[in-house]
Amino acid sequence: MAELEAPAAPSAPSDGSTAISGRLPDFVARPPTGPYRRLNPTTKLVIAFAEALVAFGVRGWTGPLVVLGVILAGAVTARIGRALLPYLLATIPLVASILLINTFLYPGATDRIVTVGPLAPTWTGLVAATQATLRVVAFAMSVALLGLTTQPDHLIADLERRGAGRRVMFVVGATLRMIPRMIERAGEITEAQRARALDTEGRVWRRARGVVPLAGPLVFGALTDVEELTMALEARGFTAPTRRTVLRVFPDSGWERGARWALFLGSIVVLILSIAGRLEFLP
Amino acid sequence: MSAAEAAGPGPRGVALACESVGFVYPDGTQALEAVDLAVAPGARVALVGQNGSGKSTLVRHFNGLLRATRGRVMVDGREVGVRHVAELARLVGVVFQNPDRQIFSGRVRAEVAFGARNVGLSGHALEERVVAALTTVGLESNIDDNPYDLGYSKRKLLALASILAMETPAVVLDEPTTGQDARGVARVQAIVAGLASAGRTVIAISHDMRFVAETFERVVVMRAGMVVLDGSPAEVFAEPSWPVLASTYLEPPLAARVGAAAGLGSTPSESSLIEGLAARA
Amino acid sequence: MTIAFEGVRYGYAGARQPALDGIDLVLHSGSVLGVVGANESGKSTLCLVAAGLAPATIAGRLDGTVTIDGLSTAGARPYELAQRCGVLFQNPVTQLSGTASTVWEEVAFAPRNLGLALDDVVDRVELALADLGIGGLAARDPQRLSGGQAQLVALAGVIALRPPYLVLDEPTSQLDPRGTNLVSDILAGLVEATGAGILIVEHKTDLLARMANRIAVLETGRVVAEGPGKEVLADPRLEDWGISPPSGIRIARAAAAAGVSVPEVAA
Repeated sequence: MAELEAPAAPSAPSDGSTAISGRLPDFVARPPTGPYRRLNPTTKLVIAFAEALVAFGVRGWTGPLVVLGVILAGAVTARIGRALLPYLLATIPLVASILLINTFLYPGATDRIVTVGPLAPTWTGLVAATQATLRVVAFAMSVALLGLTTQPDHLIADLERRGAGRRVMFVVGATLRMIPRMIERAGEITEAQRARALDTEGRVWRRARGVVPLAGPLVFGALTDVEELTMALEARGFTAPTRRTVLRVFPDSGWERGARWALFLGSIVVLILSIAGRLEFLP
Repeated sequence: MSAAEAAGPGPRGVALACESVGFVYPDGTQALEAVDLAVAPGARVALVGQNGSGKSTLVRHFNGLLRATRGRVMVDGREVGVRHVAELARLVGVVFQNPDRQIFSGRVRAEVAFGARNVGLSGHALEERVVAALTTVGLESNIDDNPYDLGYSKRKLLALASILAMETPAVVLDEPTTGQDARGVARVQAIVAGLASAGRTVIAISHDMRFVAETFERVVVMRAGMVVLDGSPAEVFAEPSWPVLASTYLEPPLAARVGAAAGLGSTPSESSLIEGLAARA
Repeated sequence: MTIAFEGVRYGYAGARQPALDGIDLVLHSGSVLGVVGANESGKSTLCLVAAGLAPATIAGRLDGTVTIDGLSTAGARPYELAQRCGVLFQNPVTQLSGTASTVWEEVAFAPRNLGLALDDVVDRVELALADLGIGGLAARDPQRLSGGQAQLVALAGVIALRPPYLVLDEPTSQLDPRGTNLVSDILAGLVEATGAGILIVEHKTDLLARMANRIAVLETGRVVAEGPGKEVLADPRLEDWGISPPSGIRIARAAAAAGVSVPEVAA
């Protein structure tokens, strides 16, 4: 029985060059423009990483305040200051609980602000609460900055070009896209079960009965989807051992690369110093 | 016991109506615009139109899954109001298109019993209903099987059985013949006929014009959230209506086109065509 | 140049009966073979076996041989077969890779996976879009298309590899009438556009009457009839096999039974 030969060897892929084929349509070849956005996607990712590291890793006020300052500078440069607002608002529930818990229940604090019946908020607690709030907000804002200035596809494409595994990148990208689909599907399932008089508006214990009828089809559906998607992907060569052709190469100058590495290593150094107690002199 | 059941044997359908119903989705899309529709108890109505024409949105108003943003929706002569879906589901049973979006049990028996149990049946009465429903759809021998051991067509019939077991006075079928083979389509036709002869109200959404012309006494055509044609199959598939059908990318069944070519007037179904040809010969 | 099934049997893991039970069938280049049958007659399995996806991605056992242009599919990985035989499934949405933000990139998915040169990728994408007449959709988000459009995008993604054979498993079954017309019009001209040999599974015998050169009927995993399209569709045993003949034939038969004649009408 003759074995199937591998398909004719393709010509060498064109990764490595910074030239983007002039034949790609604009909407595919378009690199982002604008002061901050123009940075290489991986650079923006590293910035977010460094920001998160410093915001949480450096004790005291300096860490989060410096990060917030940097983010603000970046946001103003990229002209997305106002767009950060929804992300800020999204942190309110978490921030509110941090403030309440720490101000009123900080263990071992005795410097009361005021005493109202059983409630005894303390200055120590308030200070701790505010610091924690700043860290959370700084982290959220760093994520927001990344999300608002970087398209997920661009980031994934750049990481892939740097050698990140095809499958890992696919899983990340496809998961992001699968979420809205799952949500839509959960809606369809809920409708079908409600049409069979499953009570989702009545008393809580009645609603608890709905877990299996709602979750069951969702899980089965997800498994079936995975099976169908696997087949479709295989049929489109996803598992081929060849290196995937690169469509876009994002500009990455020597300066940028150097600065990126410096930032990456620098933030790790700062974290280590902070843990080792060498940064006690900072407020 | 609902009013319909208390009425005892005899026509047990309920009337369904929309009075100037409008519906806007939360994201601002206008899905329905001033829809007027009155369905008499025991009527057999087909709802046709392209995806996005509003048909699926419309039927979700009858069991309360969606609430009109304008106008009134009436079930059994009363406005839907704020009644829960679980309550309306006893009057209007809706079978959605994809059975895999509702099957969760490992046994056909339990799957069919689900809806009936939710409306309060148990014990012997429940068992009877389950067996009767499975017999109607032709799956009585699969009562102890795992639903996922059945093929897609049979799972669709299983979903239908699950609603039939609830014995709702009105039944809505969302694309009952999509993905069905010839035997499956014939089975669905027989089920609709059976429901009609028991006096139950039936509304079906379908893309199959032949199925529509042969099985239903009234056809409602929707486009962009509005009703554009409403009448018997003979009226809706008559030649003067063809431009309106074409405007929403629908084609009359071949029987209608042949009848028109033969100068017979409107013959939407194959049997009416043959009758017409024979009468003239 | 053919895809040839010889004595093909296929059993899914854990199933009591084989899904395919001795299939001998030939698909010729540049022609359309329609496959009809009741649900669970083995039609979908036939498609998966033709493209080599079964048993490679689905647990099961294959006996007999499937050869594409003389080379056996046994032991070949699906990505190797992707350039020889493309597959299109029923559900337009689940076939999309989910990684592309534009239709253009979606169609480029397969050529890129095989590491083809960038110019080659661009050529193939443009040709596929042109062949199907969907160049206007190139900049659109694949997740926001109508069913018919999504199905065409999926098809473009498949023909981007220029496979000499295509297998289509009920490509219009989940589409509304407009989508069905859109896709079937394209399918009717597909052989001319690509020169491919096409195997299409469909319930809509009216559609097959328009496009199929030959038709094979499956029943419980076996081919019970095979021949020129018009002949098979006129076979009186079609309904026994659970298949509804095209409207024209049904009407002609009913008229003959009633002793009346029927005027000709373009289908």
